[in-house]
Formats: sequence, structure tokens, C-alpha cells
Amino acid sequence: MDFIAVFDNLNWDSFVQLTVNGLTLGSAYALIALGYSLVYGILKLLNFAHGDVFMVGAFIGWGVIGVLGGSANPIVPVWLAISFMIIAAALGCALLGVVIERFAYRPLRNAPRIAPLISALGVSFFLQNSVLLLFSADFKTYNTFDFSGGTLFLSGINWGPLHISLLRIIVIGSAFAMMGLLALLVYRTRLGKAMRATSFDREAAAMMGIDVDRVIVWTFFIGSALAGVAGVLVGLIFSQINHFMGFNYGLKGFTAAVVGGIGNVPGAMLGGLLIGLAESYSFGYISDVWQNLIVFSILVAFMLGRPSGILGRADIKKV
Amino acid sequence: MRRRGITIATVLAVVAAAVAASLVGRAAPSASAAPSASACMKVKLGVLAPLTGPAAFLGQEQLSWVQYAISSFNKKYKTSFGVKQGDSQLSASLARTVGRQFVADKSIFGVVGGSTSQSVISTGDLFKAAKLVSVSGSATRVDLTSGKNSTFFRVVPNDSVQAPNIANFVSGKLKAKRVLVVDSQDDYSTALAPAVGAALKAKGVKVDTGSVAADATDFSNLITTSVAGDTDVVVFATQTASAANALSQQLIEQGKKALVLGTDGAYSPSQYKPKHGYVSSFANDLNFLPSAKSIVAGYKTFSKGKTFGTFGPPSYMAAWVIMNAANNACKDGHATRGEVVTQVKKTNVPSILGGNLKFTAHGDVAGAKFYIFEITNGSYKNVA
Repeated sequence: MDFIAVFDNLNWDSFVQLTVNGLTLGSAYALIALGYSLVYGILKLLNFAHGDVFMVGAFIGWGVIGVLGGSANPIVPVWLAISFMIIAAALGCALLGVVIERFAYRPLRNAPRIAPLISALGVSFFLQNSVLLLFSADFKTYNTFDFSGGTLFLSGINWGPLHISLLRIIVIGSAFAMMGLLALLVYRTRLGKAMRATSFDREAAAMMGIDVDRVIVWTFFIGSALAGVAGVLVGLIFSQINHFMGFNYGLKGFTAAVVGGIGNVPGAMLGGLLIGLAESYSFGYISDVWQNLIVFSILVAFMLGRPSGILGRADIKKV
Repeated sequence: MRRRGITIATVLAVVAAAVAASLVGRAAPSASAAPSASACMKVKLGVLAPLTGPAAFLGQEQLSWVQYAISSFNKKYKTSFGVKQGDSQLSASLARTVGRQFVADKSIFGVVGGSTSQSVISTGDLFKAAKLVSVSGSATRVDLTSGKNSTFFRVVPNDSVQAPNIANFVSGKLKAKRVLVVDSQDDYSTALAPAVGAALKAKGVKVDTGSVAADATDFSNLITTSVAGDTDVVVFATQTASAANALSQQLIEQGKKALVLGTDGAYSPSQYKPKHGYVSSFANDLNFLPSAKSIVAGYKTFSKGKTFGTFGPPSYMAAWVIMNAANNACKDGHATRGEVVTQVKKTNVPSILGGNLKFTAHGDVAGAKFYIFEITNGSYKNVA
């Protein structure tokens, strides 16, 4: 069988475009999944407020572009405006993550595991409703198309009938750059080594002189910063944001973390991209109304067949 | 002894009278179950609309025009109508909650709304049971006036007019050969989109269909899989103008030439401003009508310069119809919600949208039509 012929039957152009669409969405899911995975790896906590940190990041980006004069007439060059949005969202969300850890999770560190989980849900509602009160339930728009008269949409890579916009390249590129930096940090720095040690055995790490509290703070700082970046990237590519967006993206990010192997950094990246692609392909080749059903069926299938995820390792307990 | 007997009999009679009086007193409000006499002085209109959320642009516009209608009516007829806001946030379940609140508030004689078809569906049985009239300025689903909701009326035409109107325009004026019709997986669009598709097919146009979630912001997969190279127009049945805007931008992003024609829910000069596109509307835009100069000027003064599209003026008329009916019902100083319904059925008032406003037996507005606007770089122009 001719490999190319198979894809010809599926319509090669559509397949490539669906792949790009899936990678765009998957990049955002991967960045969110990393936050879930990092925190779970260290604290064994499902931080259900993480999706709302992502939402706050999207709002910070929206606020920054407003301060810079709006997307139609920013007072700085477009590349600088986007950089400011990403940096502000990353820093804002990182600080928010640290505050959440300090006040919502640290006091419950030695409580039964259900307590911080409930606290996480409380923080999630708190963030959602705070944004609702501050900015109302109206959808906000980034008006990305107005940046340089639509240049971000109109320019890019043309390949036959395919057009991959500059904005998609920026979004996918930024997400991969963030994932690369995180991988470097986790596997090539002292902090990363401390994070891995804490994740492996918190008590033993503390006995070896690692400041576990500091490691946990850094974990929240980094995970939340990534969520903030994802918020801005989603705002840039899809233009509309609202106070409730964190729920859907958070759920998909969590699914990605579980599918990839929660607690595993490369697993979260892989899971995010896979979920994005699954959503895209299911829309294209199965049904336009079943994509969520398919995504969550994948989650159920993994929970039943391989609960530790693709790259996760099953816990071995001494009995 | 005899005196004692009389005393006991008197006490028993007084107690019996008191019990009877209290029973009558309790039964009176629930028997009439509606405001009366003194209530005529403090009558309110409920506004059931998405005041926040993705369709807040239309809800806020409707609320503002209802307030303007109330102010004008009170001034003209020396009445004291008030308004109670109910935010549906474009959610059917929230609309039902608001509906219950309106039914329970006995000062409310009529409801302007629901703004959307799903909110009318979710509140129809509540309002019918409470004999509370509702007059919508924007709900267009055909079966809302099938006779099931006997207290529901609307001042705009329904989708049995919109679907062929869009089909005529797309096949006739735009000369489209291939069209993608997309629904938004809600009560409104899942009825309208197939009707538009069927009308287009009847005209010999090749029709593809697509579907997206009501809260979708990512249309890239829809565009990749459903918009062919020779697709001329995408008819998007939506209640979210910003979604229609995002769809038109994402079409350009993927290098597709197809134009977007948004259905009536997309009419918003502030949120749907494609480079080139179209939008359908159940009313003409008063901004373009020389004959509406004075009403537009009056509204601008009242609202301190707020801009508006086609959602506000029909709600002005909806509010006017209810106030007119309530005023007629209150002429004897005593009115019930049921009387207001009866009076609304008899409506025959001059409309700011043109002509006289009357209802058919099932509550549809008689003789109204749909309009189509062309949008070029965000600027709207009536073309059909």
C-alpha cells in the first residue's frame, strides 16, 4: 500500500491543516497540562484552580494590550506588544500561583488529601467570580486581526492551497520554546534537580538539605507562569476570552496531563499535543459534534487501560 | 344560666366570624392571583435578556430601548411604569430561573422577551400558567408561535420568513453556487440552519452543512473540513456576533475566499465588523431611515449618545405594546395579568419600525419582513 496514497484519500491538504490546527490547540493544552503535572509531581495535589490561573493570564494579556493603546493602534511595535503581553501574563500568573500556594494549600499540607482538593475548587470559584465581578460576564476580545492591518493572519507560510498564518507559527513556536525552556530547567539546573528529588521523595529530599518549601513555591511559580502564557496565546489566536474559559481549557489540560502521565513533564507535553490533535482529527474525520465526547473517551480509556498514562510509571509500593 | 349560654354563643359566633374572615382574607389574593386596583399604580415590566455574557451587546441594547419606551410612555400617558431586569446570560436554565422570579413578582404585568428562542422555550410554560404576557423583540424560531405558548407574542417576523429571504439573496444577488450552512447547536440555530439549507437546495445551490458549539471560538477545524475551495458563502446561524466576526477572520487566515452571512443574532456594528460580509436582520436599522430621525434623536438624548443596531427598536415596540395593553386594562382601576393578555391580542398601534403593529391569532406580527445588510470594513449598508 502506498503511504502517500492513503493520505491522498484522506485529502492531504486537509490533513496537514488539521494537524496545524491540532498542534495550535495542543500547544495551549500542553502548557496548561505542565502546570497540573508539575504540582502533582511534587505535592500529589490536583490543582483544580489551574485552569482559572490560565484564564487570569488571558485577562492580563487583554489588559496589557488595552494599556498599550489597543490592537489597532498600539503605541509600541506589534512584536513588542505581544512580548509585553506574554511577559506580564507570565509574571502576573506566577505571582498568583505563589499566593494561592501560600494561602490555600500550604496551611493544608499535612491535612487529609481531600482538604487541599476542596481548597483548590474554592480557589477556582474565587478566581472565576472575582474576574466576573471586575470585568462582567461580557466576552472580551483581543482584536488580533487589527494588529498591523491583519498581517499576523495574512502573512505566513503558503504551501499549495495551505496557508499557515504567522500568528499560528508564533503561537506554536512560543509554546514549544516554553516547553523547551522548562525541560532545560528541570533536567539541567540545580533547581530542576531539587524539583525532581522532591517529587521522588519529599521527606528524603528535605533530609538531604533541600529546602522543600522553596521548591514548592518555585513549582507553583513556573507552572502558573506557563498557564499565563497559554492564556495569552489562546487570546491571540481565537480572539475571544471570558471569565469561564478556564473551566473547559483546564479540563482538557488536566486530561492531557493524565493521558501523558501525570507528574511526568515530557508526558504532559505529549499528552497536550495528543489531545489537541485528537480533537482536531475527530472534528475532521469523525463528527463535528462529538469532539468532546471523543477527547474524554480517550481519558476514560487511559484510566481503564493504562492509568499511569503514556509516559507515567505505575507506583510500586512495598507490601 | 341563660345569660351564660348567650355569652358562650356570642363568643362562638365571634370566633367563627373571625375564622371565616381570616379564611376569606387568605383566599382572596390566591383566588385572583394577580395584582389589582392599587397595583395598577405600580406596574412593572420584566426584561428577560442576556444582559451579560456573549450576547450582552443585544441584551443591553434591548434594555436601554425598553427604558426609553417606558420613559416616553410615562411622559405621554402620565403613567408610572417601571422595569425589572432579568439576566439570562444566553442560558436557558438561567432564563427559567428569571422567569420564576418574574412570575412570583406580582407587580410585573408583562415581560419584554425572552430575547432568544431558547429563553422563550424555557419560560413558555411558566408564563402561560401565570397568564403573564411576554412580547419578544428578537426571538425568531418558527414554532414559538405554534399555539403552545398562548401568552407569547413577538414584534419581529419569524424564521419562516428569514430562511427564504436569505436563500433568495444568496442565490439571486450573490449568485452563490456552493454554500456552507452552519448551526451553533442551540434551539435557535438548529431550527434555522436546516430551513436555510432546504431553501437554498430548492434554488439549486449546492449546500454543505456544519455545526459548532454555541460557545466556540475556534473555527479552524470547521473551515479546514467544511469550507471547500469553491464555497462562496458561509451562512452562520448564531446568536453571538463576536463568533461571526471570529469566523470571518479565521476564514481569511486559512486563505478561503468565502464570505460570511450571519443570521439575525449576528447584527452588531460594534462586534461583527468583517472586511466584507453580510448579516440578516428582522428589522431595518433606524440609523439609516430618514423617517426615524426624531425617534433616533430622542433615544440618543435619553441614552446619552449610546449607539444601537436592530435589536433595540423592536424591544421598544414590545414594551410599548405591553404598556398600552396594561394601561387599557387598568382603565377601570383594576387589572389582572389575564386582562393584559387579552388587551395585547387587540393591539393596533403605530410602530416606530413602520406601519401599524398588529398580531396574528398565534401571536406573530402581521406583515413584517427581514432585511439584509452588506458590511464593508465594518460599515453596514442595507442591500435587501
